[in-house]
Amino acid sequence: MNNKHEVVKLIDTTLCTACRGCQVACKQWNEMPGLRTKQWGSYQNPPDLQWNTWTLIRFQEHVNEKKEFNWLFRKDGCMHCTDAACVKVCPSGALHHTEFGTVGLNSSRCIGCKECVSACPFEVPRYSRETDKIYKCDLCYSRLRSDESPACVKSCLTGALSIGSKEQMLKKAYARAKKVGGDANVYGDKFVGGTHVLYVLQEKASVYDSLPRNPSVPFSLFVWKDMLKPLALLAAGGVLAGSFLHYILHGPKLPDEPGPNEPGKDEKGGE
Amino acid sequence: MRKGLIQATDGFERIVHWSLALSCIALCITGLGMMYQSFNFIGDLMGGLKSLKYVHNFTGVFFGVALYFTIRMWWKEAGIFSMPEDLEWIKCAGGYLWHVDNPPEVGKYNPGQKMFFLAVAGFGVIMFLTGLVMWFPLSFPSLIVRLMFVLHALGFVVIFAFFFVHLYLGTIGSPGSLDAMLTGWVSRAWLKKQHPKWLKEMEEHGTLVVYGEEKTAAKSHGH
Repeated sequence: MNNKHEVVKLIDTTLCTACRGCQVACKQWNEMPGLRTKQWGSYQNPPDLQWNTWTLIRFQEHVNEKKEFNWLFRKDGCMHCTDAACVKVCPSGALHHTEFGTVGLNSSRCIGCKECVSACPFEVPRYSRETDKIYKCDLCYSRLRSDESPACVKSCLTGALSIGSKEQMLKKAYARAKKVGGDANVYGDKFVGGTHVLYVLQEKASVYDSLPRNPSVPFSLFVWKDMLKPLALLAAGGVLAGSFLHYILHGPKLPDEPGPNEPGKDEKGGE
Repeated sequence: MRKGLIQATDGFERIVHWSLALSCIALCITGLGMMYQSFNFIGDLMGGLKSLKYVHNFTGVFFGVALYFTIRMWWKEAGIFSMPEDLEWIKCAGGYLWHVDNPPEVGKYNPGQKMFFLAVAGFGVIMFLTGLVMWFPLSFPSLIVRLMFVLHALGFVVIFAFFFVHLYLGTIGSPGSLDAMLTGWVSRAWLKKQHPKWLKEMEEHGTLVVYGEEKTAAKSHGH
């Protein structure tokens, strides 16, 4: 991976007006259909990320300690982790790190095992029963390769979305959080090796729905992938080597030869 | 078949054994194809890794059925240790690892075989149950599914390693043993060496089946 190309997308929630232009642009560029939904008392529509909805504005009504009402908008989607749990569990390499540091998805290799669904700390990958595959944002890999910004960034009217080099975006995010003041903070650079999607959050992370405060690669993955996986081959190899040594040093367990002085009828009958 | 050979297993035992064994091997191979990306090519033999996934899942169902019959059939004989003679055997590893002048006489199954049976039975059940959850992960909480993957991998470590022990001791490590699971007929010399107590029991109870002899003759032989 070339660090020169490592990109980070910045989502400044303090500038977002929830126009959902990014949501529409994402569907258009990725040619994803819209599915019929029901009114459930919120502008948040569809209600959650879906196999065909890779980004979504979450609408949240929030009353702070001073009893002030606030309507919080947060664009949800893949965070493109550096230590990506989904890449770690993917058996086929369908999920992989790209040269931009983002997490790409080679759909033709996906076998629909859904291992990434339970591994992702952000609950991003979504499964389609119809195609038996999972889907998620790839940060418009095809556009990044053509030096274009992702469709969501391109469509953003208020400048809430921007993309650039990691250093540039981190600098911008911290400057913005400082300027907004209050509880405003930067989210994304302090865990899972740093995400390639950064937030400037207006409120503390714990305020937001469906946003883990301290996401991490599940410990179970470490036990499974870094301990048991090599151990399986080591143990089997050890047994094979041990068996070989046993054979040449101790020797196989053979039936006794009938002695010359004991021509018992049992032995005769046996061999 | 040769005159004088002794029947060690019946047809049902052999069918159950090979149903379990072959499905277990198929599961190990297809499982390896998903566990290690460098083994992804195993999927090519089945028309792609996605097909391999289905082969693995449905073979798992077959394995579960075979495992049920295996446990039902063998748990009394191979699932229970008889003390203290089994402990004595374990203390000297049955004479398998170092020289022992007179290792304790064993019955139908020696404690090593019992341990293998218990490992396969116990981890087999774990593999089946965790595999079911992993097949339908969206129906369970993520935390549960994550734990299932760890247990499934742990079961693989144990069964895969034990498989090679079984393979060695069932073939070149103990010549004559393979016949017990292929034709079912073994030589008296082999039985006397491997399972002397069982041979005596069968002779005493008149249950010894000798090829070429009438069953009643075997009975009278015991008296």
